[in-house]
Amino acid sequence: MKSLFRMLTAAVAAMALAAPAFAAKDVVFAVASTFTTTDPYDANDTLSQAMAKSFYEGLYGFDKDMKMIPVLAESYEVSKDGLVYTIKLRKGVKFHDGTDFKADAVKVNLDRVTNPENKLKRYGLYNNNIAKTEVVDDYTARITLKTAFSPFIAQLAHPSTVMISPTALKQWGSKDIAFHPVGTGPFKFVEWKSTDYLKVAKFDGYWRKGYPKVDTITWKPVVDNNSRAALMQTGEAHFTFPVPYEVAEVLKKKPDLEVVAAPSIVLRYLSMNTQQKPFDNPKVRQAIAYAINKDALAKVAFNGYATPAVGVAPQGVEYAVKIGPWPYDIAKAKALLKEAGYPDGFETELWSAYNHTTAQKVTQFLQQQLQQIGIKTKITLLEAGQRVEKVESWQDPKTAPVRLYYVGWSTSTGEADWALRPLLDGESWPPRLFNTAYYKNDKVDADIKNAQLTTSSAEKAKLYKDAQETIWKDAPWAPLVVEKLLSAHSRKLSGVYVIPDASFNFTEIDLK
Amino acid sequence: MTSYVVKRLLGLLPTLLLVGFLVFLFVHLLPGDPARLAAGPDANLETVELVRKDLGLDRPLPQQFLRFVNGVLHWDFGRSIRTKRPVSQEIGDRFMPTFWLTVWSMLWSVLIGMAIGIVSAVWRNRWPDRLGMTFAVSGISFPAFALGMVLMQFFSVQLGWLPTVGDDTWRHYILPSLTLGAAVAAIMARFTRSSFVDILGEDFIRTARAKGLDERRVVIKHGLRNALIPVVTMMGLQFGFLLGGSIIVEKVFNWPGLGRLLVDAVDMRDYPVIQALVLLFSLEFILINLIVDVLYGLINPTIRYR
Repeated sequence: MKSLFRMLTAAVAAMALAAPAFAAKDVVFAVASTFTTTDPYDANDTLSQAMAKSFYEGLYGFDKDMKMIPVLAESYEVSKDGLVYTIKLRKGVKFHDGTDFKADAVKVNLDRVTNPENKLKRYGLYNNNIAKTEVVDDYTARITLKTAFSPFIAQLAHPSTVMISPTALKQWGSKDIAFHPVGTGPFKFVEWKSTDYLKVAKFDGYWRKGYPKVDTITWKPVVDNNSRAALMQTGEAHFTFPVPYEVAEVLKKKPDLEVVAAPSIVLRYLSMNTQQKPFDNPKVRQAIAYAINKDALAKVAFNGYATPAVGVAPQGVEYAVKIGPWPYDIAKAKALLKEAGYPDGFETELWSAYNHTTAQKVTQFLQQQLQQIGIKTKITLLEAGQRVEKVESWQDPKTAPVRLYYVGWSTSTGEADWALRPLLDGESWPPRLFNTAYYKNDKVDADIKNAQLTTSSAEKAKLYKDAQETIWKDAPWAPLVVEKLLSAHSRKLSGVYVIPDASFNFTEIDLK
Repeated sequence: MTSYVVKRLLGLLPTLLLVGFLVFLFVHLLPGDPARLAAGPDANLETVELVRKDLGLDRPLPQQFLRFVNGVLHWDFGRSIRTKRPVSQEIGDRFMPTFWLTVWSMLWSVLIGMAIGIVSAVWRNRWPDRLGMTFAVSGISFPAFALGMVLMQFFSVQLGWLPTVGDDTWRHYILPSLTLGAAVAAIMARFTRSSFVDILGEDFIRTARAKGLDERRVVIKHGLRNALIPVVTMMGLQFGFLLGGSIIVEKVFNWPGLGRLLVDAVDMRDYPVIQALVLLFSLEFILINLIVDVLYGLINPTIRYR
């Protein structure tokens, strides 16, 4: 008994002594799904890439407003023909394993992803354009492209393009690096219990002096919306994203929590299969665009956390042009439909790429709106596997069963090329990419191609403007809304932002 | 008895092979290309093909099946399409949390359920019976997700007594096992009651009473033992179901268990994980049935095994 008492007092004393060290700033993020990998080159989900920003940094990156900023690069120069990019690197940067960050890291990382042997999921993003990467000197790398591709720097800012320690890559190999991430980021990887959490801790040798301002971040995937909200209310988590609309009202009432609705570049639209009757007629497509009340849609399905789309590419994407919103005009819709030869409307399919509650509300709303001009629709909410089978990997464009298709897109490079090319270029029909409208307009294709080739920013702006205006008039889509991104954080936490592509920026993270 | 158990265990192998074959066929019949799903929302065609090769999905189906069977024989279930970790590891990490949650839920729910059942049967059609059965019917009808959320809202958010999600300490087990066990307790109560009501009308009970045994002895010694057979059967079934991981309870309490793994796997068409999980669930059911059969003999020695 006596010894037990002594042990207890010793323990209490030890705890008291250690207390200052225990006053660590430990932050918990509650996120909506489990991470697929820590390797951004092999990740296809925004969340895994956002998490990987804890330990990885790229040559370029985005600030909290999604403006491109140099990170590990200092500057770049591009040759006149737009083929050769010479990049000056930041000095004095160290990886977590002590390796110095030099030009060889750039070469090793880009060589890795462009080598089909490594079978990385982001292969397609780089292979099309990078011909070779060379080391000029310790702090200068030279990247040569196959063809001129003016959005190339934006691609280097994509959250996939990060610098992994060449030493670690050699040690663990291309596959196992995912379980032992070593980067230059503000936090070191601690452990990943895939079922439960991923934990990172402050890296003392971080190049940005005085950062990071917290000691650890625990990334906790909590699937259920209500449970995530409960975690915020009990204070077990400091930050959560996404917050479902119905939960937002509950969290807003808590004095120690703040709910933030951030602007996004997540565009929702209704694509129409332009190769099939009756959608091959632009008048029919325009009629549909006129028949939908976008303001009401934002209110009904998104609880007001969305705004009507004002262009083909959402505002916030570089070179996006504001054209709309497309007006709501039933009389005009009816007239157009009559001109097109469908005075009594027609019957068609309406598919949704998602099967969550919001998508359900959206499709029901669209159904009701189209009913007003006599178009009867049959709704199907596609589950992920069905979506892949019936839309994304449909082999023959002639027989594609997709008609009206409710879907969305987030332009993760923040640049017009990735907002237009995968969705509207004639080369991008499924299964190659995601032109679910099977839209093809030679003028648009040429604009997109020429914009890639030019290095002049003014010229690019002109070409993209022309492309977007043409597309808007042709109406392969009825542009619907741009979502807002709802997140919640504890008032003690500052410096964590949801950026417009639904990734996170937490360079300035601090806990009171 | 030993030879009986050995015989049953040997009979396991063909059953599992058949299950394996059927599962393989079924998951490959699901719509959706797993390579496309794994490659993600903005992958182009070349990338999808690369991913397909990486996952071994470019080979013909019979060859994939042989690889699967061969792997299983060497205790290798392949790698998850989603996380690229070995399937055995994915399942291993999640098995114990589900197992312990099942054990704790079963423990309290069987004890409480049987107690309610016995009390209801003994005081049949009087107020203890009415009260007990009201509990039982509510337990069956109240959906688990709602119960889980209500419990969490009350005990974690309002009162702050218990943690919300996770499985780190014993306190984390309280709410999920209450949620998971509620329906089982209700089922057990109803089963015990009806089984008991039958037994209490039997001749041997009348004899026991006639020879002057006190009521407690009659109920516990003579009644319970005989009423237990159907109850144990039900218990085995419920145990098997719960071991599969309750999808709803695991989602609400973010339990790192098999139910959530299965949902994730089906969403992503993660063939290797689905196959291994279904095999595991079948194995669990077969083993539990065997244990139940053996228990019959212990409860009622007149049952013989051949």
